[in-house]
Amino acid sequence: MSDYSVVGKKLPRVDAVEKVTGAAQYGADVHPAGMLYGKIVRSKHAHANILSIDTSEAEKLPGVRAIVTQDDVPSGRRVFATNKVLYLGEPLAAVAATDADVAEEAAELIKIEYEVLPVVQDVIESIKPSAPRLHSDETKDGPNRRNINAKIKELSDAESDDNQDTIRKLQAELEKHQDEIYYNISAETHTEAGDVEKGFADSDVVVEDTYVIPRVHQTYMEPHVSVASADSSGKVTVWASTQGPFAIRSGIAGTLGIPLTQINVIGTTMGGGFGGRFGVIITHVPAVLLSQKAGRPVRVQMTREEEFLDGRPAPGCVIKIKTGATKDGHILARQALAFWDSGSVSGASIGSTIRVRGVYKIPNIKIDAYGVHTNKSGTAAYRAPGAPQAIFAGESQLDDIAEKIGMDPVKFRLMNMREEGDAVPAGGSEPKVGYKETLEAVADAAGWWDRTVDDNQGWGVAVGDWTNGCGPGGVYVSVHEDGSARIFHGSMDITGTDTAITQIIAEILTVPYENVTIRRGDTDSAPYSTGSGGSVVTFTMGNTAKLAAEDARKRILQLASERLNTNEDNLELRDGGVHLITADPPKSISLGELAAFSLSTTGGPIVGKGSFARQPSTPALAAQIAKVEVDPDTGRTRVLKLIASQDVGFAINPMAVEGQIEGGVVQGYAWAMMEEMQYGENGNVNPGFVDYRVPTSADLPTVESVIVEVPAPNGPYGAKGVGEPPITPTLATMANAVKDAIGIRVTELPIKPEKVVEALKNNGHGK
Amino acid sequence: MKSFDFFEPTTLAEASRLFAEEHAQLLAGGTDLVIGMKASTETPQSVISLQKIQGLDSITSDSDGGITIGAMTKVREVELSDDVQKYHTALAEGASEIGSIQIRNLATIGGNIAHASPAADTVAGLLVADAQVDIASADGGRSVPINELFTGPGQTVLKPGEIITQFRLPNPASGSHYIKHKIREVMDLAFIGVASAVNIDNGTITDARIGLAAVAPTPIRATEAEDLLKGKEITSELLEQAGEAAAAATSPISDLRCSAEHRKEMVNVLTRRTLQLAIDRA
Repeated sequence: MSDYSVVGKKLPRVDAVEKVTGAAQYGADVHPAGMLYGKIVRSKHAHANILSIDTSEAEKLPGVRAIVTQDDVPSGRRVFATNKVLYLGEPLAAVAATDADVAEEAAELIKIEYEVLPVVQDVIESIKPSAPRLHSDETKDGPNRRNINAKIKELSDAESDDNQDTIRKLQAELEKHQDEIYYNISAETHTEAGDVEKGFADSDVVVEDTYVIPRVHQTYMEPHVSVASADSSGKVTVWASTQGPFAIRSGIAGTLGIPLTQINVIGTTMGGGFGGRFGVIITHVPAVLLSQKAGRPVRVQMTREEEFLDGRPAPGCVIKIKTGATKDGHILARQALAFWDSGSVSGASIGSTIRVRGVYKIPNIKIDAYGVHTNKSGTAAYRAPGAPQAIFAGESQLDDIAEKIGMDPVKFRLMNMREEGDAVPAGGSEPKVGYKETLEAVADAAGWWDRTVDDNQGWGVAVGDWTNGCGPGGVYVSVHEDGSARIFHGSMDITGTDTAITQIIAEILTVPYENVTIRRGDTDSAPYSTGSGGSVVTFTMGNTAKLAAEDARKRILQLASERLNTNEDNLELRDGGVHLITADPPKSISLGELAAFSLSTTGGPIVGKGSFARQPSTPALAAQIAKVEVDPDTGRTRVLKLIASQDVGFAINPMAVEGQIEGGVVQGYAWAMMEEMQYGENGNVNPGFVDYRVPTSADLPTVESVIVEVPAPNGPYGAKGVGEPPITPTLATMANAVKDAIGIRVTELPIKPEKVVEALKNNGHGK
Repeated sequence: MKSFDFFEPTTLAEASRLFAEEHAQLLAGGTDLVIGMKASTETPQSVISLQKIQGLDSITSDSDGGITIGAMTKVREVELSDDVQKYHTALAEGASEIGSIQIRNLATIGGNIAHASPAADTVAGLLVADAQVDIASADGGRSVPINELFTGPGQTVLKPGEIITQFRLPNPASGSHYIKHKIREVMDLAFIGVASAVNIDNGTITDARIGLAAVAPTPIRATEAEDLLKGKEITSELLEQAGEAAAAATSPISDLRCSAEHRKEMVNVLTRRTLQLAIDRA
């Protein structure tokens, strides 16, 4: 690793200066001449039939230039509600006016007649027959009914008369599971490997609990914003704060029936995304519709309150989980039944329930997961979507098993962890992974093996796994006559990815880091790029950048061989020039000279192209240890220590990697201890930062990061995706530490003071 | 934000005259009013700034620890004042709990009190300091004890045109302490706030004052608990009894922050703690 001179180094971010000086252009900084202000008209009820929408008063208000409703959406895709609203804040219309106050006033003047319907906010209530239906009366079967029905089908298909008795018995049994007829189901997924019933029967210890995880918001600093400008030729330009400009382009095209290349999406500097900034209809489509109608540019920008009402946060869920192990510490079986709160639409990350399998050798596993409709907005990705929730349940229960059999929680995990070649429950076998190394690293760094506690203190450990995504991308790199290099691409910078791309290209071209600059194009100019989410960017664009730099390098050596009149085998690219290794005295030519020379050659300027789409990724582990102190009288928890290790494959920029680890840990801590979207009878009741608490630096100690590097075979320099893994174990880490401190398992997040006091009281502590 | 008329009077008399008009609002630090106006929960027709009126923003002390704090004094100055820290520690601690440093550099103590939130962080400290609230008006003005100022959430005895000018804290206790029950370490609203102040003579409590915030429609004094303490020797049982008596004096609500039951329990716990810490400081 030490052979590298640019990658693997803690170099300052390429966007540092523009960020700290305020030069970076965010969505709200875009202000084309004649721009109007858009405002979305939102439902005041969480569930209601819409009897009428009357825009006539609003239209008369001076300054109002356009009003749009679902009638203006050619594809019919639900942008605005028409007959029925399904959550508080659901869009019904949008207005554009000459200033923001007029737009707001106009929005108030749009008269909506509601017929209020009963509301359901809780997944366990929503699946019951008594719940109001959001979409239809359709039902789905729970796990037992599914099993029985499968057996009945099997016997019926056999068409043997001998089976009739058994079938009747099974049908009688089916009747006993009436509570497993689920309503309001938006999606389901079922996974099974081995035989869990046998696994539990063979176990010495079986633990079963239900975990409840709240819906949380990504709380990026910059609210959703877009500025759209439709010109008279039909060409549409959208300045969008988004993680994926190309996805926004196709989303707008599909929703509004505009030819793809008649839309140019310009990605503005992003004030955080975390998975929540891919939505097309939240602000982008309304802005385009308003601009088309008004014939002027329109900005639609959400307030923080609107973010909470109509953003796409992370789904909450209820996970019933059961684990069995032998008394000498082998996990034999795990079963989970999960209900994910998908809100008014489908799309909660229910598939992530599989993450309860963790990184352990579990021969028998069964997972049943359901998405459940409630009267809330839909959900979206949030940093390792679904994993923190599932891993909270899995890793919490693992600690309880370890305690029951009297094993140290780190040793218990190490003993059960998978290694290269081990079977992944319901999923192939492991490539080379660094699970044990990562857990051992955090345990050593934390001083786990000789840890001490005072009164009311406790230590918690947990691990979380995640595999980065991968997607298409393209990069060009040009070398100029002054020896500098410029990169051109179309992927959005997310937490330092532009820096990683720049480091990789500087490394290969041997151009000084500060002489390599990077430019992002819009969707009109740049090659296609996958969205910046799913920890894909450094993996994907890093590989792409490598290809581009190697392509440029080829041309550089070609030029040098021409210029120095020698075979390429005698040449070496280093220190910003090409050197003739056979020459004595040494002979070389700089990249600048070669770039100048290239302009008058047949082959032309030095332009490297990289284009890449897919390579298998390798799983990464994050392991964390926390030490906490709980005040048993007030229930307040203070974190004394937080240590986080992560297998990152190879840290292209260790400073940026540490930043990712710290950020993930803080978000996980927040989910564990304070963040939750709360719902009352008419929807979200804490739509703002007063009562939706995100932590400040005063709440946490310095997070100690430990970088582990077990290279990924297909990652650039061995890099794995680093953005998502660090949030995955933190919820469980905190819960396990609190459990260690107070001796009681809190199964419902966040672990607020009141819950701790309750838990202690219910277990005979305090008064 | 709706449009409004803006006035910057230089005298209290002029300010009072303007403020007596309908739909008028005073602007002190603006940390509550401006947010309300932006959210259209406050829609004044006229806004009267107090910032050009001289003499409302200083902290003055007399020789025996009596302190006068001008209503326009920034919360941050109250927090950092040597005299407030020394003689009315609970008030300085309360001030240090408001918002962020940026907010405290704008917000005024007069605004924090006149806004009449039951959860105001400076109110418990003023209650246990036995503060007198001086009020100016067109007809000369008056003074009311802080515990008689509030009539309900957001409601006070202030009449149209009446402006709080200063708080007089005549009579420092020898030790005081404020604790706020919250989730986040800083920049959180009080789930409850408890201040205690005590005088001690030879192991016996000669005077005790307990101020409670966010546990009733107005901030309150826990007088039964105070009476229970006076003249008694300090024991842990006594402090426990005081905690229970203080909790019994409350009528909290359940809301999205926590349950009424939790608030009551925390009054018990934190009254005990503030008393012990006030005693340690006395």
